[in-house]
Amino acid sequence: MRRRGLPQGLRTSLLLAPALAVVLLLFGGGVVMGVLASFGYQPFLPGRELSLDAYRGLLDDVEVRRSLILTFRIALVSTLVSAVLAVGAALLLRGTRHGRRAALLVFQLNLPVPHLVGAAAMLLLLGQSGLVSRLLFAVGLVDAPSGAPILTNDAIGWAIMAEYVWKEVPFIGVVVLAALSGGVSDLEDAARSLGAGAWSRFRFVVLPHITPAVVSTSIIVFAFTFGSYEVPLLLGQPFPATLPVVAFQAYSDTDLTARPRAMAIAVVITFLVVLVVLAYTVLTERVLRPAERRRVAGT
Amino acid sequence: MRSRALVLAGTVALALTACGGQDDTTAATPDPSAASAGGFEAVLAEAKGQTVDWYMYGGDDRLNTYVNGYVKTELAKVGVTLNQVKITDTAEAVNKVLGEKAAGKDSEGSVDLIWINGENFATLKQADAVECGYLEDLPSTKNVDLTKPGIATDFGLETEGCEVPWQQATSSLVYDSTALSAEDVASVESLFAWSQKNPGKLTYAAPPDFNGSMAVRTFFFDTAGGADQFLGTFDQAKYDAAAPKLFERLNAVEPSLWREGKTYPAAQTEVETLFANGEIDAYLTYGSSGIGALVDKGTLPKTTRSAVFQDGNIGNYSFTAIPSNAAHKAAAKVLANLLLSPPAALENAGPDGAGFTSAIDLAKLPADQGAEFEALGASPYQVPAAELAAKTLPEVVSEYVTELEKDWKANVLQQ
Repeated sequence: MRRRGLPQGLRTSLLLAPALAVVLLLFGGGVVMGVLASFGYQPFLPGRELSLDAYRGLLDDVEVRRSLILTFRIALVSTLVSAVLAVGAALLLRGTRHGRRAALLVFQLNLPVPHLVGAAAMLLLLGQSGLVSRLLFAVGLVDAPSGAPILTNDAIGWAIMAEYVWKEVPFIGVVVLAALSGGVSDLEDAARSLGAGAWSRFRFVVLPHITPAVVSTSIIVFAFTFGSYEVPLLLGQPFPATLPVVAFQAYSDTDLTARPRAMAIAVVITFLVVLVVLAYTVLTERVLRPAERRRVAGT
Repeated sequence: MRSRALVLAGTVALALTACGGQDDTTAATPDPSAASAGGFEAVLAEAKGQTVDWYMYGGDDRLNTYVNGYVKTELAKVGVTLNQVKITDTAEAVNKVLGEKAAGKDSEGSVDLIWINGENFATLKQADAVECGYLEDLPSTKNVDLTKPGIATDFGLETEGCEVPWQQATSSLVYDSTALSAEDVASVESLFAWSQKNPGKLTYAAPPDFNGSMAVRTFFFDTAGGADQFLGTFDQAKYDAAAPKLFERLNAVEPSLWREGKTYPAAQTEVETLFANGEIDAYLTYGSSGIGALVDKGTLPKTTRSAVFQDGNIGNYSFTAIPSNAAHKAAAKVLANLLLSPPAALENAGPDGAGFTSAIDLAKLPADQGAEFEALGASPYQVPAAELAAKTLPEVVSEYVTELEKDWKANVLQQ
């Protein structure tokens, strides 16, 4: 089906205009103000010149350096574990119609639960006076509830990653399940009739089919976990803390001259997330799309 | 107890109507002594129908109950609606005001009143974003000694009529009497000695948490041999001479703290949870007067006691301040006045309140009312009010506070 080119383009832009206006004004405006503030722009403190001092300061700031490593590790591990578990769960549960319906229900159950509630639940579950440690104590595996392994407010960030995985597996899973419903079983049957084994069917039929869904949701998960504040605040420790926590600590510093540092960290977070999204775009254009085109051309 | 509260509430209503009646006559006969009362009448009239957005630390359940119960009801009687905006850090409200001012919003701002003191007040004042010069208009301020050092200055900074006193906070050490003896809690020295014999049972919140910052200052004064030398303006040389010894001492005791001092709780609520769960046996708090009620409620064990170090305990006043761009200044003034009124203070200090001590100077009240205050807050689980107030150490200028917070982070937390 073809429509005339120009009116359609115009119509698309017109339809998109309200959404774009909100994004550009509210989000773009916020980013511009943030960048300005990171250069030291503070209208209520007159007589200060714009400079890159805040960024220079970040380079030899041990708090920010260690925070960057921690944030990156937590976001990466959470994303990878979530993606693997989500794909596994989706593949296991798509079998029967009943299975899929039940799986969808389970997957969608925790989607509306806020991260904050999830984080509080992790605290009650994994904290040293939490349910798990009390159970371990009750069955005599540890001498005191506080003798249980330290999983919250720890250096590794176990509880933070657990919360992210708990919340993001269903998110990726639901999208993968949707991708799996798009005629992939017909293709698998065709491959099977041509003699393809289970591994070959997964590798050459299922995987290419779900890769765009997995990659795009993983990027969203990574960007979110990299920039999330409330979960590491509740479940992390004061030092090293993740970048958003450090940024907010600096932002709520009562000394107004600390404000540019807070904004510089926020800008760095934004920059890194944008980099990841750009990398994803390049990846899908160069690597994933040609494969898809070939597949489409072949059918 | 409850019936007395009701009687008191009735008294307030009566007093308010009495004020209204009085004003009609004073308006006709100009009298200089009635000028302030007349000023407040005008404020009351303007406030009628307004909604006051009060930004305050929202982590204290009992205080929230008091605010949304008693205070809200009393405000409604004069036609003012209270909207409590709970925040975790007062700096959030200050940031909101500064953000709005930066965006050119010099009136109709969204923050009407902030529960504030110390560094946050200094920030508001530094940015010239606070309303000043209305204290004499508020009838309740006559019950307060406005010249008292802790009230005329807030963490060393002159208040200059830019904030209304509300409560006083005195610190004490809360401990489990089955784990620590009276000798163990006598001084910072003996507490640290106890901690080294009982590893993992002591901690404090990481500054800039309000209570954690107080704990570090307590240790600082103790290490430097007293608080008096730090009164007055910030002296970098004095600070530089004393601070390294503090960090050396804190790092020495660190391995015996909770989780071997590898990390610290990020907030006082975490510290209190650790104590309630028996993970730690002692902690320093500003909430000295609320301990008895927490034991009665069953949150804390019956073996809980509190004590003050023989060399003194830090105390301060907290205030309410109106941002200069507030949309409902009249309603904010009415609220600030109500909070400081004797009936509201009595309710707050009592069993149905938050257990906070008012900034009211009991000597300025009629004798029977003063006695009512003194009878409240007595509990076998907490230090008596007289002992709390006996050796109160003053707060020092906020430069010391921020320097200590910054250097503690670099020299203790990040080591």
